Amino acid sequence: MPEPVYGRDEARPEIWVYLERKNGQLEGISRELLAKGRELADQAGWCLAGLLPGQGRAPAEEAIAHGADRIYWLDHPWLDRFDAGLCTAAVEHVILEHRPCVLLCGATPDGRDLAGRLAVRLRTGLNADCTNLSLDAERGALISEVTGFGGGVIALLEIPEARPQISTVRPGVFRPGLPAEDRQGEVVRVYVELEESQRCVEVLEEHLGESVDLTQAEVLLCGGRGVEGDFGMLRELADLLGGEIGATRPPVDEGFIERERQVGQTGVVCRPKVAIACGISGAFHFIVGIQEAGTILAINSDPQAPIFEYADYGAVGDAHQIIRALIRELKQEREGAHA
Amino acid sequence: MREPHIVVCMKVVPKAEEIQVDPETLLLKREGARSEINPPDMNALEVALRLKDARGAHVTVLSMGPPFFEPILRMALAMGADDLHLLSDRAFAGADTLATTYTLARGIEKLGDVGLILCGEESADGATGQVPAGIAAWLDLPQVTLINSLEFEKGLRALRARREIGGGYTIQRVHLPAVVSIKTAANEPRFMDFRRKPWAMEQAEVVVWDRASIDADPAYIGLRGSPTVVVGLREAESRERRQERLDGPPEQIAHQLAEILRPLLTE
Amino acid sequence: MGEAPEDAGRAPIELDEAAAERLLELTSGEAAPCFQCGVCTAVCPWSRVHHEPFSIRGLIRKLQLGILEEDELPWLCTDCRQCEAYCPRGVHVPAVIRALRQMLWERREVLPGLPSVLWSLVWNGNPLSQPPSQRAAWAEGLELEAFDAGRHEVLLFIGCTSSYDRRAQRVARALARVLRAGGVPFGILGNEEPCCGETVLRLGHRPYFEEIAAMNASLFAARDVERMVTLCPHCLDVFKHEYPRIEAGFEVQHYTEFLANLLEEGRLEVGRRSDQRLTFHDPCLLGRGNGIYDPPRALIQAVAGRLLEMAESREEALCCGGGGGRMWMETPPEERFAELRVKEAARIGAERIVTACPTCIACLEDSLGARRGEAMDVIDVAELLAENLGAG
Repeated sequence: MPEPVYGRDEARPEIWVYLERKNGQLEGISRELLAKGRELADQAGWCLAGLLPGQGRAPAEEAIAHGADRIYWLDHPWLDRFDAGLCTAAVEHVILEHRPCVLLCGATPDGRDLAGRLAVRLRTGLNADCTNLSLDAERGALISEVTGFGGGVIALLEIPEARPQISTVRPGVFRPGLPAEDRQGEVVRVYVELEESQRCVEVLEEHLGESVDLTQAEVLLCGGRGVEGDFGMLRELADLLGGEIGATRPPVDEGFIERERQVGQTGVVCRPKVAIACGISGAFHFIVGIQEAGTILAINSDPQAPIFEYADYGAVGDAHQIIRALIRELKQEREGAHA
Repeated sequence: MREPHIVVCMKVVPKAEEIQVDPETLLLKREGARSEINPPDMNALEVALRLKDARGAHVTVLSMGPPFFEPILRMALAMGADDLHLLSDRAFAGADTLATTYTLARGIEKLGDVGLILCGEESADGATGQVPAGIAAWLDLPQVTLINSLEFEKGLRALRARREIGGGYTIQRVHLPAVVSIKTAANEPRFMDFRRKPWAMEQAEVVVWDRASIDADPAYIGLRGSPTVVVGLREAESRERRQERLDGPPEQIAHQLAEILRPLLTE
Repeated sequence: MGEAPEDAGRAPIELDEAAAERLLELTSGEAAPCFQCGVCTAVCPWSRVHHEPFSIRGLIRKLQLGILEEDELPWLCTDCRQCEAYCPRGVHVPAVIRALRQMLWERREVLPGLPSVLWSLVWNGNPLSQPPSQRAAWAEGLELEAFDAGRHEVLLFIGCTSSYDRRAQRVARALARVLRAGGVPFGILGNEEPCCGETVLRLGHRPYFEEIAAMNASLFAARDVERMVTLCPHCLDVFKHEYPRIEAGFEVQHYTEFLANLLEEGRLEVGRRSDQRLTFHDPCLLGRGNGIYDPPRALIQAVAGRLLEMAESREEALCCGGGGGRMWMETPPEERFAELRVKEAARIGAERIVTACPTCIACLEDSLGARRGEAMDVIDVAELLAENLGAG
């Protein structure tokens, strides 16, 4: 094995979380990792710290409220927008100074870019897209659970010698906790030195949210003939679930919804975490569009509809009634949560 | 202006639904499982071939794997790639991301004079998605990932990469040489050219490099070079759908649906 | 003779000699006899639904000259063969269009989505992106036997669509039950069953089709297949007409022919019921393509007694729209032939449309589904028989 830059014996009993920010707040994945990090740190009696690149201090405070004991704030304008080369250089520097035992990153576009590059720079191990984490405090070992082969195989991984032990975790795997405004923590402003020669990537144009990209949706709500064109109702449910709407060919043909949202063999093929098929019979040219979904739910009034063979959970009944009831239930839940 | 040399890193993966785990040895049983070229790598190759169509390029396919990869990867030559280099050595086996990216990086250095390195976003078996970043780090090159399409700038000193993300897109300018990963399904890979196929499958010479050929440090490759170890392995519950039925009046069904959805959703 | 005013300002037409030559090669001169009478255009179903007249006559003329227009025309053909049935020079029009498609593959100017269909064949052995290990899942619980030339009279060839599509799987199961009831010793290839390659041929990739056909012919020879019965007319058509003669060397029939013989020999007993108003939709590749009009009718009549006939049936049958690789392409609803077919079935008062092709079933059911309140259904001959097995 290549000599890690620092090993087991030199590492401090600390879990660090790479924090991502958006519009002055922490991204959901960061709150999820802080919650899990806090849980592991408490079990082991370790410290939990966060790494926050970019200007703007507010997310640091938010991270403390979510459980961090300390935040290393890499306050530099060049780190405002993620750049793999620059961020790696800055993070590498801080890590080498403080030598944490564990580093957690989101398996997000930025998190993966950073983790992959950093692991090589530090000659350490990286376990990607973990579905679970546990800590053996005595050995200082992070045990990562990952799935492979399209979900068919589950492996438990460890990094015995090299440090930090880096793991990336997908959004949605862990649940975020609730912030405790009275939590105390330290914000350490880090002096970051970066050179012009390190800037190799320049963003020339940035266009936000123009077209519909169903392939990015974590929750995909598809409507078929049985929905009878009521995509307004589906939109309402999709908004409550934080998802997108798709459709089968018949409603697209009838003009109820735009063709860009057609899901299936001759439309878009998606891999959402959750796919809900409403009023869809389940012809396989549609199924091809969602067959890789994590969980499939189906609602159809025909008990013989082939869709039920492809679904994890199937409900026989009127799509309108069930969806309206679900919308009511979810709204109530929300209102209850705010109370 | 000379033709750019583009290297596309590709691998062959077993078909996901055919993999089994031997409960005794905790090893993956790959024999008998059909193989395919890692689908995201096909998208990367398609990008390379479009660049070749547009302004000429020499496209090399590079892969780390056992000899049986060869006949399958020859299909990449049939699609339009110019040559195929296979990094194959017993000592490469058992590599985690660090060792794999090290080996590929040494292979790229051995190829020499590389202007652009393309990779698929992730692989269907390991799905770490970390190989592009790792290669970039070993070679100390800039990296951009999840790219949908790109074009060279005149003078070949930089390229412009389009990344579609979050319903929008960005255009980035990247100094060359660089490592670029291509978003899965960013394009439709062209089918093989059957007039090229006989050459690709039979006559084309495939270069096989072992550890010594690429001057790889034995301590950095294969199982020996991997900081990560597998301590446990098992088959996940099969992808068969549960086919559970929910009963009752709409309100009751809605309640059950809400219960099922709650743990599945992100905040 | 001056230019007509409308022509002034139009760019000169480019003649692509290389293309014309290549097409001549690929078609073996098939289009040469065309003398531009236009009957093909008149009888083509597309002229009844398309927003513009689909001039096959014009297309052939352009091919002869080497004028290539990249658009949807080469991809519209459903291989219904109505045109060649009427052509006074016997031009095999669909074959000419396939040759054009082959050239488009060479130039990489095919419709998006089609390369993926061919890749699916390479990796999965079927065009539907379905797992090869699941090909025999339709037969679960039926305890069918793996084909053994020593024990089995025929090899039952299911085809990709009926192996994987849930609706079409019901036809496969029905057919297996009927063959059993007829006491026929038969076997299937199960997960080893290859794709017949018809999709590849119709989409125009002749070289890949030939590769598939050669591989399959070896497989059938190795398994000592002498007699084969297919579920699908598309498989029938390629096995019968496109597979290499010498290596293939097996006799192939569509199941309707096979069962009609069994019926005649008294080996198959079906119950009779007179309460259903049935009509038969002739699949193009069964009827016009292979002259099989009477056997399916005989089977239906054994059950129903009498059969209603739609206008445009038998040699005149209107295509369902799914052939020629069209299943892999999008057709706007107002341009689907099956809509016309379903309307016609309703007009004559049929309650059920019986057919004998999984592609026809898919297209007809699709169009039926779009007509609310229609009580009609679509059923395969095998399913009709399976519903009525046993002495009447």
